[in-house]
Order: sequence, then structure tokens, then C-alpha cells
Amino acid sequence: MSRRFPPERIRNFSIIAHIDHGKSTLADRFLEVTGAVDTRKKQDQMLDSMDLERERGITIKAAAVSLTHTIRGEEYLLNLIDTPGHVDFAYEVEKSLQACEGALLLIDAAQGIQAQTVANAMLAMEQDMEVVPVFNKMDLPHARPEEIKDELENTLLLERDSALACSAKTGEGIDGILEAVVDRMPAPEGSPDKPLRALIFDAKYDEYRGIIVYLRMIDGTLKKGDWVHMVGADTDYEAIEIGKFMPKPVPHEELSVGEAGYLISNIKQLEDVRVGDTITIMRGERAAALEGYREAQPMVWCGIYPTNSGDFENLRSALKALKLNDSAIVFDPESSDALGFGFRCGFLGLLHMEIVQERLERESGLDIVQTAPTVPYEVQMNDGSTLVIHSPGELPDPTQWSEIREPIVTVHIIVPTDSIGVIMKLCTDRRGIFLRQEHLSATRVMLTWDMPLSEIIYDFYDKLKSGTKGYGTMNFEEPRFDAANLVKLRILVNSKEADELSVICHNDSCQRRGRAVLQKLQKEIPRHQFQIPLQAAVGGKIVARENIRALSKNVTAKCYGGDITRKRKLLEKQKEGKKRMKSIGNVEVPQKAFLAVLSTDE
Amino acid sequence: MSKCRYCDFNSYAWTGQELDRYVRALLREAELRAEALHPQTVFIGGGTPTFLPADLLAELLVELSRITGFRSTAHEVTIEANPESFDEPRAQAAAQGGVNRVSLGVQSLRPEVLRAYDRVHSGERALEALARARELFTRFSADLIFAFPGQDPASWEADLRAVLASKPGHVSCYELSYEPGTALTRLRNAGRWKAEDSDLCEELYLRTGKILAEHVYERYETSNFARPGERCLHNLAAWRNLHYVGVGAGAASWHGGARRKNIERPEAYQAAVESGIDPVGECERPDANTALFDHLMMGLRLVGEGVSRARVRAATGLDPVDHFANQWQAMREDGWVEWDAHYLRTTARGALLLDSVLTRLLPGEPV
Repeated sequence: MSRRFPPERIRNFSIIAHIDHGKSTLADRFLEVTGAVDTRKKQDQMLDSMDLERERGITIKAAAVSLTHTIRGEEYLLNLIDTPGHVDFAYEVEKSLQACEGALLLIDAAQGIQAQTVANAMLAMEQDMEVVPVFNKMDLPHARPEEIKDELENTLLLERDSALACSAKTGEGIDGILEAVVDRMPAPEGSPDKPLRALIFDAKYDEYRGIIVYLRMIDGTLKKGDWVHMVGADTDYEAIEIGKFMPKPVPHEELSVGEAGYLISNIKQLEDVRVGDTITIMRGERAAALEGYREAQPMVWCGIYPTNSGDFENLRSALKALKLNDSAIVFDPESSDALGFGFRCGFLGLLHMEIVQERLERESGLDIVQTAPTVPYEVQMNDGSTLVIHSPGELPDPTQWSEIREPIVTVHIIVPTDSIGVIMKLCTDRRGIFLRQEHLSATRVMLTWDMPLSEIIYDFYDKLKSGTKGYGTMNFEEPRFDAANLVKLRILVNSKEADELSVICHNDSCQRRGRAVLQKLQKEIPRHQFQIPLQAAVGGKIVARENIRALSKNVTAKCYGGDITRKRKLLEKQKEGKKRMKSIGNVEVPQKAFLAVLSTDE
Repeated sequence: MSKCRYCDFNSYAWTGQELDRYVRALLREAELRAEALHPQTVFIGGGTPTFLPADLLAELLVELSRITGFRSTAHEVTIEANPESFDEPRAQAAAQGGVNRVSLGVQSLRPEVLRAYDRVHSGERALEALARARELFTRFSADLIFAFPGQDPASWEADLRAVLASKPGHVSCYELSYEPGTALTRLRNAGRWKAEDSDLCEELYLRTGKILAEHVYERYETSNFARPGERCLHNLAAWRNLHYVGVGAGAASWHGGARRKNIERPEAYQAAVESGIDPVGECERPDANTALFDHLMMGLRLVGEGVSRARVRAATGLDPVDHFANQWQAMREDGWVEWDAHYLRTTARGALLLDSVLTRLLPGEPV
């Protein structure tokens, strides 16, 4: 299989789409049509390799597959670089796109253009890629290609006639798409005579093979056994194995201009590989670094603690293991009075956080407690320096700083015209600033708002969905930091301040927010022998208060005969539940109470 | 007849023939495990033995007495009964068979409450049954349930007073509890049944104690009240963690160093017994620490009496106060328990919080 393709016979492309528009199904079809997988053996959605991905129907990590396909008697190498498809992952989409010359913009022919369709298409066009629109699900009775062509023209300024039609489900139109990939997308440029230059567009940890580096060849040739130099990381490795995914990894003797493949070396940990870094040759003339890649900035942070304090080191190992195949996770040890030793962890977004948390519990079997997520804040200190904080507890005393800046994102929201009012109100309530409104078609509109990121990381997406009967979609761009009148809302449980529960919020909403947190705590914290006052304060001023009444009757009504063993076991179970609780002063707090600040039944 | 919604007893629907077979199996087990046991008390319960036909009930008692010899040794022979099945022939059969005490499952006199529980009797039938019990037996008790959702304390009080007018020597007042696997628990979990909050339960508990005290009933156990000389000796023995042998499907025993429970499903139970096999389902031999905990778990329910230190030492080799010295000290400071050289007991406050008291004794956290 390891025959060589000259650059003009190579196409590097990806599929970009809104979630559930059928990207993975289309990729599966490509694998089938090109004979990369035996139809009878294929598992659905080959490219989503993790269980969790398949379960949630989303692609977490990009994958790359080399396909060979004959068009008009000529054999082509088609490298399909998969991109993830959720709102959190614009950064990962961007990484993958940089390894491609073209993109298939897949659009559900019934649903039409959605917020991520726009965002991904913009991303691709900014990189000067050839974008080929493809309407999927044309077999659906309510497919409406003509209207979507209007939307294409109105929103993306793409020609209506440029769109292809297919049904990834039935297989109709698939050959035409592959033809368009060859005919409409440019071949990679690059010179085989120049020094080795390749782009790292992803990296994964494999339990058996170690670190697998995904690379896209730009110039020169990479041979098995070459010693390579990673420019940004300034490290050297031997190319112990190189190859292509077809879709299983197949070792090759060399990779050359335009090809996409993998590299295995004795790289210890994923952190040693920087996605976006440039690979060149160790000895001889080295290539200059490629431009464009930047580090992912974690925009959602939370504390993660082991339920059993003895599991701290296990948690560290588990996080390290996750970081092996998800370099976007950031974590640093932190400690808290109530929760003991744990880690402050940074994630790309809320979905990323949920996935990591689930994987942590699933893959390591650890019980963890999570604190409420927060965004990073920039604090302008009196001495002129800027402090970036990732938890409310890190906010210095108000006398030491002059300003707090919070991340603001420009959000594009596409909704049916009849729900504009609801969504306008939602955004206004969340401190949004309205920017503009554009009609995509007679029934759909795109609203653009500037919103504080802190206001959308909790349940904004759910509210958007429920306010639009499920039709609303959103996407947001990289944040900027703007000053705002923010305060630290302190929470006191039985007069003891619980930093784990404190939250940074806007001064205008601190009272409402405080009350909501306290009411939630009131529900979550079981009664104690004594009454527990709950207070929310800004500085020294109490803005809300509630009480948890002292324990009343707690005795099993009936106990005799055969109940004894069972009754003892019930008490032991209750005790187990108590052991899992954490303490704030002398108050025992169940783990989920630490998420009380997420409460929005305000 | 149907299963009551709060009931987590081992219960099944039967036909007449099956009942006959079951009684034979039960007697066979008694022959295997309780021959010449000569018990001091007998309790025929575990639900509704009075749904046996009168002749079968009579036969059961005669045979049981023949096997165990209870008629010459037992001071107290109790039968549990439901108002709807406690008719004249059965009552007569029980009395003639040596039963001298009846425990009637009145539960409530309110039609709406009884309906909600899926009980088939009515308040009038319950009062009639109480009158019959009074006529035929020297001792009788009424079981009642409080903390029905939305129960107004005044209506509970009226029920209680109406029952007291029948002058039972003993009353059990159980807070409605939500046992795993019952219809009620399923309804509650599905959000279709709202349990009362613990403040109201406490108020009802205290009010119940007060009313009964006015009528000279002593609260001798968490949920049990007796006039002088009317305590249930059989249950008292269980709370003192003394031994007993239970026969029948799902019956529990505490005997010979083992806590055991019979096979629950009648079919499997009968099959075992008919093959001459001991129908044991689960069995554990508590170690000293577990036995000590059981003594406390049961004994502290005896509100005035508490746990006899000497008896526990004799049974387990451990002193209940010294063994948990730190925990008791802390709880005494909280006003939950008190003790002297002979007995350890809860205070009135501690009695209300007994589950918390016991949880604090379990290993796993600093005191």
C-alpha cells in the first residue's frame, strides 16, 4: 500500500458541520466507497474512537484517515482530517483546518445553516481554504435545499450553485463529493527538495504505542529512522515509526510533501508535544517554524477534589493520564479547608469540562467532587501589574486592586423569527449588549450579542434550546477582557466563610444570586443538631440570609423481628453517605452542594 | 385482599389449597427447629395470620402447641389481625387455641387515609373489631399510623382518642415510613405522594406521647405505649436482644449465636421444608462488636429502660458505655444520652434522634 503520491495527486480536506448534521456518517461513507473498510466489518462511525464519543454522538478528538480513490482513471490520495463538532471546540477545529487546503461544509438539508455552520465556515474562509457546501440528508421529506441556498448566499456569500447534494445515510451523491474534493480543492503546495517541514496538527496517547503525533507534511521528506527536531519545544526525537491511517495505522518507510500521517517516537508525555509546532530535521538545514498555531486558552475553570482525601495522588495520575490525550486540560494543585487537596483545572469550555469529569470517573474509577465552574478574570493591581485569577478565592482584598476585567464574547445566535423576543430577553437578563440582527431567510434570524462569558457558561445553552423549542443554535468567538463592576460574593455557612462556594458576580445581581445560592444550600445541606445560618456577603455587607433548622425527629418508627440485620445495614449505609460529605467548619456538606452557585432558579 | 401500600412484609396472594400446604410446611419446620422449645411468649404475626380460615387457624394452634409445648409455658400468646378478617369464628378459634392477646391493625379510622393506603377495611369495621377483641381477649392492642401526607394534627388526635375509647391496654403509633420496594415509596419517588416534613412528624410524635400519657399509657418504646402491666413481652424480649425462633417463609430468628432469615418465597420455602431441608435463607453470626451494636440499636429504643450494661457484658463481653466512651461523652454533652452504673439510655431528645445516635457509633469519622 505504501506507494508514493506526488502532491498533485493528494488532497487534504476536512468536513465541517454543525453538530448532528451527519459528519461522522459521511466520513463512514467515504471509508466504504474508497474501500478503506470492509462494509460488513465496519462499526458505525469509525472515526469516533472513544466510547464516550460514540455514546454522546460527538467527536472529541480529531482523527485523520488516508483514503485512496480513483477518479477518471487516476488514483488520488485523499487525507480526511476529521474535526470535532461542538461549540467548545472552535480551537480544535482550527488546528485541524490548518492541515487542510479545503473543507466540505456539511449542512443538514432540513435544518439549514446553524450557528456552528457559520462559525466553522468563517474559520475555514479566514484561512483561505476552498469551501465546498454539501447538503446532507436529502432523502428527508422535509429537506428544503432551495431555502438553504438562499441562506448560503445571504450569510456566507457562497454561490448557491456551488452546493452539492447527498444522503450520507443512503449513500447517494457520495462519489460526486469525492470528485469535487479532487476537482475543486487545491493540491498541497510544497517542495520535496526543501528541508523537512511538517505541521503537528494533533497528538494522542495510545496505551500500547505511547504518544502518536499527527502530522501534515509541508516540505521535504520524512524517512523512518530520521532524527527530527521540534522547533517550538526545542526537542529531538527519532522517528521510530511513521505511517498513515488507512484507517488503521499502517507503517510506511517515508512520508513526503502533502501527505498526512503519524509519527511514533519515544516521547514521554503529551505535554512534550505542542500541537501547532513544526517538525524539521535534527541535523543539517532546518526549516523555519510555521505560523499560526497558538496555545488553547482554558476559559472555564473549576476545582476537582477526590472524595477520599487519600486519593489525591491517584487523582493526579488520572489527570495526567487524561492530559496524555487531551493536551487542552490544565491543572494545578490547590487546597481548600472543606475539600482538602485537589486541583484547579482549566477547560476549553463547559462541555469539555463535563467530558473530562466523566472520563475521570469512568476511566480512573475515582469519586470526585467538583466545585462550580468559573471563568478567568483579569485583576488590575494597584502596583500596575495584572493578575489573572482562576477561582474567586484568588481575588485579593479590594484595597489592592483597581479594576476587574471579565471575558466578553461575541455570540452568534440563530433562532426562528418567532422566538426572537424570548432570546432577546434572555440575553438582556444575562447582561448582554445587542449588536445586530440579520435575516437569514424569511423564518430565521441571526442575532449577535456581546455577552459576559460567565453568564453563558452555566445554562445559557439550555435556556436557548428551551426558548426556541430546540431550534436555536449558538456559537461564540474568542473572548476579550472588559472591565465590569464585579464583586466577590462570599458565602458563610454557620459564620464560616466557604471559599469553595464563593462566586464573582456583577454588583447589580449579587443579592439575587446570593439568595439563589443560599436557597440551594438550604436544600442540599442536611439538618444538623444545631441551626445553621447561611449568609451571602459582599465585603462586610450581608446581602442575603437563610437558615437551616436544627434536626428534628430522626428515629426509625418500627424495628423488631427480622428487621435487625437490615436495619443495621441501613444505618451503615447512612454512615457511608456521611463519610462522603465534606466539612465547612462543623457543618457537613454533601458534595453536590458545592455546585450550588450554579443554581439559576432565581 | 390486596397488599397495603406502606407494607414491606413478605406477602403473597394465596388460594385455599395453597394455605393448607403452607401451614403444613410451617408446622413441619416447627418440628425441625422448635420441638419442645417451651417458649415464654408466642407471636403469630408477620402480617395477617387471621386470613387463615378459622378451622385452619385452630389446627395451626393445636399443632404448634403440641410441637413446642407453648400452652404450658407461654404467658403471652399474641395474634396479629386485620379488622376485616377478624371475625367471630376466627376470634373464637384463636381464643380456644390459647391466644390471649390480639394486636389489631387499625392504622386509621379515616376513609380517605385507609383508601390511600389501599386498606380494605373501614373505620367502623376497625371499631367493631376492637370491641370484639375486648370481649374475647383479656389483652389487646391497636396499631395506628400517623404522618399521613396532609394529616391535620387535630384529625390524628381525634382518631387516637376514638381508638382509646375502646380501652386497649396497648397502643402502637408508627410514623408512616417509606420502606424500599413499597408502593408508597414508588409513589413518593415518582412525585405522586408528598411525605410530611420532619417538623410535623416531630409534632405528631410529641402530641401522641402527650395524649397517651394523659390516658396513663407509658411510652416504653419509640412507637409503643402500654398501660401498667400491658407491655408486649414478646417484642420487649426482642428489644432486649433476647433469643427467639421464627418459623414460616421469611421468618427471622436470633438463636444459637446466629441471626437468620428463612427463604422468603413461599414456594421455595415449602419445597425446602417438604424435602426435610432447613429453609434458611440468610444467616449471619454477629461478632462481639456487631452484637454490641445490635444490643444498642434495639435496647436504646426502650425509652425509659435503656440498655442493661450487665446483660450486654454477659452476652458480648463488652461494656456498652466503656466501649464507646468518647462517643457517649460527646453525646451526653449534647444532651442525647445518660447513663449510670447499670443502664444506658437516651434522653427524651435523644430518643427522637436515635438514628443519629446510632450512626455516631459506627466507625468512620472522628467523634
